Amino acid sequence: MTGTPETPALPMPAPTPLGPAIEARDIVKRFGAVQALGNGRLTVGRGEIHALLGANGCGKSTLSKIIAGTHAATAGSLLIEGRPVRFATPREAEAAGIALFYQELSLIPPLSVAANIFLGREPRTRAGFIDRTRLRAETEALIALFGDTAGPGLTPDALVADLTPGQRQIVEILKVLSKSPRIVIMDEATAALDARQVAVFFDILRARRAAGVSTVFISHRLDEVFALCDRVTVMRNGETVADLCIADTDQDSVVRLMIGDVRKAGRRTRADRPAAAPLLQADRVGGGRLRDITLAVAPGEILGLGGLQGQGQSALLRGLFGADPLTAGRLRLDGQPVRIRAPADAVARGIAYVSGDRVADAVLAGRSIFENLAAAVLVRERRWRVGAGTLAPRLAGVAASLKTKYAGLDDAIGTLSGGNQQKVFIARWLATGPRLLLLDDPTKGIDLGAKADLFALIRQLADSGVAIILYSSEEAELLDQSDRILVFNGGAVVTELSGPTLDSFHLTRAAYGDAA
Amino acid sequence: MTAPSLSPSGLSTGSRLATLAASPLALALMAIIVLLGLGEMLSPGFARGDQIIRLLTVAALLGIAAAGQNLVILAGGEGIDLSIGAQISFGAIIAGNVMNGSDAAIAHAILAACGATFLVGLVNGLGVTLVRLPPLVMTLGMMAIIQGGLVVFSQGIPSGNAAPALMGFINQPALLGLPGILLAWAVLIVLMGLLLRRTALGFAIYAVGANARAARLVGLPVRAVRTLVYGLSGALAGLTGVFVIGYTGNSFISVGDQYMLPTIIAVVIGGTSLAGGTGGYVGTVAGAIALVLLQSVLTTLHLDFWGRQLIFGGTLLLLLALYGRQTGPRV
Ligand SMILES: Nc1ncnc2c1ncn2[C@@H]1O[C@H](COP(=O)(O)OP(=O)(O)OP(=O)(O)O)[C@@H](O)[C@H]1O
Ligand SMILES: [Mg+2]
Repeated sequence: MTGTPETPALPMPAPTPLGPAIEARDIVKRFGAVQALGNGRLTVGRGEIHALLGANGCGKSTLSKIIAGTHAATAGSLLIEGRPVRFATPREAEAAGIALFYQELSLIPPLSVAANIFLGREPRTRAGFIDRTRLRAETEALIALFGDTAGPGLTPDALVADLTPGQRQIVEILKVLSKSPRIVIMDEATAALDARQVAVFFDILRARRAAGVSTVFISHRLDEVFALCDRVTVMRNGETVADLCIADTDQDSVVRLMIGDVRKAGRRTRADRPAAAPLLQADRVGGGRLRDITLAVAPGEILGLGGLQGQGQSALLRGLFGADPLTAGRLRLDGQPVRIRAPADAVARGIAYVSGDRVADAVLAGRSIFENLAAAVLVRERRWRVGAGTLAPRLAGVAASLKTKYAGLDDAIGTLSGGNQQKVFIARWLATGPRLLLLDDPTKGIDLGAKADLFALIRQLADSGVAIILYSSEEAELLDQSDRILVFNGGAVVTELSGPTLDSFHLTRAAYGDAA
Repeated sequence: MTAPSLSPSGLSTGSRLATLAASPLALALMAIIVLLGLGEMLSPGFARGDQIIRLLTVAALLGIAAAGQNLVILAGGEGIDLSIGAQISFGAIIAGNVMNGSDAAIAHAILAACGATFLVGLVNGLGVTLVRLPPLVMTLGMMAIIQGGLVVFSQGIPSGNAAPALMGFINQPALLGLPGILLAWAVLIVLMGLLLRRTALGFAIYAVGANARAARLVGLPVRAVRTLVYGLSGALAGLTGVFVIGYTGNSFISVGDQYMLPTIIAVVIGGTSLAGGTGGYVGTVAGAIALVLLQSVLTTLHLDFWGRQLIFGGTLLLLLALYGRQTGPRV
């Protein structure tokens, strides 16, 4: 019996050559009265990239966390490389070569990128101190995997708190990769990445596959799944319902297995309406990295913000909302000059903002689903009394229109799956009946069915006269929903696409900066 | 795979205790019953009706002051009010001077004491929100300033004493055999419940404590809320001061000092998280009663002030360690 070189800590028998990388059988997981998993099954072959799909709240993250030792299963058995295991802690799973990308990220925002990636595993000097030079160099090398797609500001010494959501996802990815695992689980690792970053990420995963690494890939973007994965397991309501070879199936069949039929609306066709006076006009606004942005959005219009990630789209939305106030230029609302110095000013004027960073910007941790839903309405309607009475059914109605899955409104927000939390934060703002809706990557983590519902709702709002500004890290979403797209580069608008130029070709060309 | 006995964070020994602590209110109620039984064993008559009312009166003084501490801690941002003890002394001395033994001046005394301490509390709040001093530093500094100020202005011997009606309110039965202060405490319990569960301010306190960034992004005035809770904490300490002088008859400059640490312990026993955002006042009430019982049992054992301090400090650390276990890895 020899210890494998990868896991010096635990003397264990050499992996049985025949067993699959992961074999999870009949996994049951209950949280109190809630049954998250009824019959979770997953078999992942060695050196395979295996998709794990299903609607929000079907149990993907729960199953992942059981495999990675974060949760203990209520019942069921788990075999890793043919050996039955029972991990009590994530450390034990790590020692067995398993690493999990946490959907809600496992980063500590006030710490640096390097400290986060190597937390608890820092390279040491001979004297036993943290070897800062090596720590920085190794982090540097990891960041270099993403090359120039990592975007500005992603350095070993940068604080995680200062990074964009996409960059934070990259850091979480690097943290996983730095453990050199033989089995990786990527739980919605691409949710905030743009097309270029996704391409690099896939190349990394494919290279690891060639080296024998097995990957579980969770995503709500089916194009990605079909581009990358070898097999797919589909879950529904806590049960595994199918295990298929990607080559033998197609997107429609997989969607049907996941959620039944989805009425996915096609490209938005702009109803010919008399040009309305703009609701919001920004005249050469700037601040932070934003430079000289001029735009106007009219009631009933959906204005898209395009370009590579982190080029100022989110900064503009935050600026318009007063979250990070604009320092230069002028804003007009209904033609009247306004100053928006804080979110409270924006809310009072009927502006709503769905942040792209739900953990930092939206979750009222430890509070109920009701409170999380009601937060914006209470402020907007200047209520001084909080009675669940009429408010609860109203909010439940909005949440239901996005098919939010929860047990009771009084349950803690943390009991919801990632996608269902995101729906709560969108519903929070829809309930205020806004005139201007600022959406920063709003579909991050929500499933296909809910996405279709959300955009149907957003188009409805637009038709009823709401103005909408939308940023999405997913190009197809932006093209399908927008009437016009402003393409950002380096904090400025470089091109406006509309009508015949509103397509993937022009968008990509403009985003990379070689627009005519 | 049967259910592993280890909890996800691998704290097998802590997990059972943590489950028990999962309901701090239940734990505090249990402590109350155990302490009552223990007291009765050590000194028969401990749990007699009039004794219990006397204990509850002391608990009310602590509980009213702890209400302010509770609000400050709930609003998060490492919020804590270390100046509560000094503010109680401040309120007691103001009240003593204004009343000076006259029943007619009780209302004025309450207004003056609460008004002054409310303003002092607001200064605490502004120091924390505008000057961005850590709450620990700001309120500790304020404690020193008040204590120093009281010594300087009263030359160490404060004048003034309580009005007879106020002393009666605290020490004599008023209704159903209960003294007025217990009725006042009952009213405060109801008001705190309404404030925290039914008003926008209560909602805002929780939201600000749970995630200040998110609270700001829905348009809540984070700084105003945080400033206000320090003001309310001051006013409640001032009110406690008025009752304290009614309880003792006259005041001395350190009369409130002994309340500072117990207000924090009562809040923590009651299950309010020191990180803010979760908890409530009912737990704190149970915590205050349990603490006063503990103090009383220790006195029966002839432990002096410092011996009791030792036990209190130990209790606080033990509880924090216990409750801390509940919040495992956040994933
Ligand atoms: N700590 C918890 N307490 C109670 N219920 C929970 C807890 N964690 C998850 N659940 C429930 O378990 C179910 C599965 O959740 P899970 O997070 O695994 O879903 P998911 O498939 O990852 O969804 P998503 O696509 O939204 O990320 C959900 O119904 C959720 O509400
Ligand atoms: Mg999930």
